[in-house]
Amino acid sequence: MKAIRVEKTGGPEVMQLAEVPLAQPKTGEAVVKVAIAGVNSADSFFRDGRFRTKLPFIPGQEGAGVVTAVGPGPATVKVGDRVAWSGVLGSYAEYVVAAEEHLVPVPPAITDEQAAAAMVHGLTAHYLVNDAHKLKAGETALVHAAAGGVGLLLVQMARAVGARVIGTASNEEKAQLAREAGADEVIVFTKHDFEEGVKRLTDGKGVEVVYDGVGRATFEKNLNVMKLRGMLVLYGMSSGPVLPVDPARLSEKGSLYMARTTLAHFTATREELLARTSALFGMIAEGKLNVRVAKTYPLAEAPQAHRDLEARKLVGKLLLVP
Amino acid sequence: MWHNHCMKAIQVKQVGGPEAMELVDLPVPQPQANEAVIKLAASGVNFIDCYYREGRYKAPLPFVPGQEGSGTVTAVGADVKSVKPGDRVAWSATLGTYAEYAAVAADRLVPVPAGVSDQEAAAAMLQGMTAHYLAHDSYPLKKGETALIHAAAGGVGLLLVQMAHNIGARVIATVSTEEKAKLARDAGADDVILYSQTDFETETKKLMGGKGVDVVYDSVGKTTFEKGLNLLRPRGMMVLFGGSSGAVPPFDPIVLTQKGSLFLTRPSLGNYIATREELVARSGAVFGMMAAGKLKLRIEHKYPLAAAQQAHRDLEGRKTTGKLLLIP
Repeated sequence: MKAIRVEKTGGPEVMQLAEVPLAQPKTGEAVVKVAIAGVNSADSFFRDGRFRTKLPFIPGQEGAGVVTAVGPGPATVKVGDRVAWSGVLGSYAEYVVAAEEHLVPVPPAITDEQAAAAMVHGLTAHYLVNDAHKLKAGETALVHAAAGGVGLLLVQMARAVGARVIGTASNEEKAQLAREAGADEVIVFTKHDFEEGVKRLTDGKGVEVVYDGVGRATFEKNLNVMKLRGMLVLYGMSSGPVLPVDPARLSEKGSLYMARTTLAHFTATREELLARTSALFGMIAEGKLNVRVAKTYPLAEAPQAHRDLEARKLVGKLLLVP
Repeated sequence: MWHNHCMKAIQVKQVGGPEAMELVDLPVPQPQANEAVIKLAASGVNFIDCYYREGRYKAPLPFVPGQEGSGTVTAVGADVKSVKPGDRVAWSATLGTYAEYAAVAADRLVPVPAGVSDQEAAAAMLQGMTAHYLAHDSYPLKKGETALIHAAAGGVGLLLVQMAHNIGARVIATVSTEEKAKLARDAGADDVILYSQTDFETETKKLMGGKGVDVVYDSVGKTTFEKGLNLLRPRGMMVLFGGSSGAVPPFDPIVLTQKGSLFLTRPSLGNYIATREELVARSGAVFGMMAAGKLKLRIEHKYPLAAAQQAHRDLEGRKTTGKLLLIP
């Protein structure tokens, strides 16, 4: 089969289209014909070696497709099932061998494109709004990078629960997209200081929760825009990792909370993965959640997809079609 | 007014050791428009009093120490409607309780119900309300959950163990001596670890069968923080509310991800009684538990006002396990 292969870590050019043999599924595994694979920043981290895995490897952890074979013994999926997944390395390929526990059913109302595009970003937005901080009607959330992959979905979900959303974005075009997704206010942080903006927009009171995938660049100011006992959820670090934190700061700024989360801990059991995915697909099917796809590339153009992702110019999900 | 006489009070003219506290005669304070004057029945003795005495926390000199008290209102300022002379009240966070009388902003006074004595009320204000916000708000503990409580025989610890137990949570407690272990058990701890004899991380893992605890309540800080993180379940909560072993040094937040998407808070009481409404509700809840016999305070020693120096020496010697009171 055709697949993208990384033989040594490095820039986008280390991803090469190759002909590789397809492995046989073991007990508890299934072979899936990949209809679409999602492109995520974690893929870049594996590609350039910031996240480690054994070489050579096939990148990509997210996708949607159809089961074509199952391993020996009892199985929870069968040939012909439409499934989606995240957390399965090897998705930039025509076929992937996946542990069944990672595969979730895709309902008929959801397209392969929607399913592949929603797994990582959609599930992340879902746990942020429902579990990392249980957002309630009447609360105000600050969503950084509100036009980012997670951001656009997070804004829609926050609005759906009745919260007020203040977003930040780097330019006016992205700000407009965040507004269309439901953000009540958007601060273009390249032109206006977001700390000042949030204080002004909340009459100096601050927000109940900050959702931050940006990291280092926003951390300090975040502490100044939260209400007493407010929650800072760090779920990414697009500007670099947050520097070491003195816990006393949380006390000084008003008995604040902070969490540093990752999706795997919010889909750790099969039960939770299925419940979360089904809630997510439900919102998409009902038209309550619009998953924006920025661009779809043929598999061979994976290097260009990574370049575009890292340049942060496109808004929405990047997908690969094998 | 009718308080033109003098009162006995402890005064700090220069910061320093316990001997910096002198018994003096001062005029009885007169209430400002928003204040009430209270004849003190009891004043709590707290570590924060030592910090002010020695200058680690600053107050304009000279000052009367003490921030926790109870007593009976004797006079009110012109604008005060919420209390009247004769009312039994308690308060915290206003300097000046090591005295026979104190003037306090009326909106910081809470009523003391009939089922709670003056001495119990004074003893409960700081530690009782602290234990209450920890168990009910910083992390709203639920029946069936497990809490690891460090320094479980300390002032806050013993109250927190009782509240956690009353909620129906399983309590794993750490203490330093066998004597303190017994106190923690009597307060309702299900398991007690003598951290001076066994490693609390290993022991807790054993007790939990490898599962993590839902919450760690940690007032010890530097020596316990890291191991506490290792004991939390995924998405568990670290409530760091003190640093008796020293302050926790700055740490890399990615550690919270690596150990299971953990949550951390560093609370202080002031932010949990910030509004009048919350102060009254919280003190009322604590007094309610006491009146119902569900929360027992250990008043370890009562000192006359003149023995304030000894009270500080005893507190700083860390030999005490219950509340110290000054009785003017």
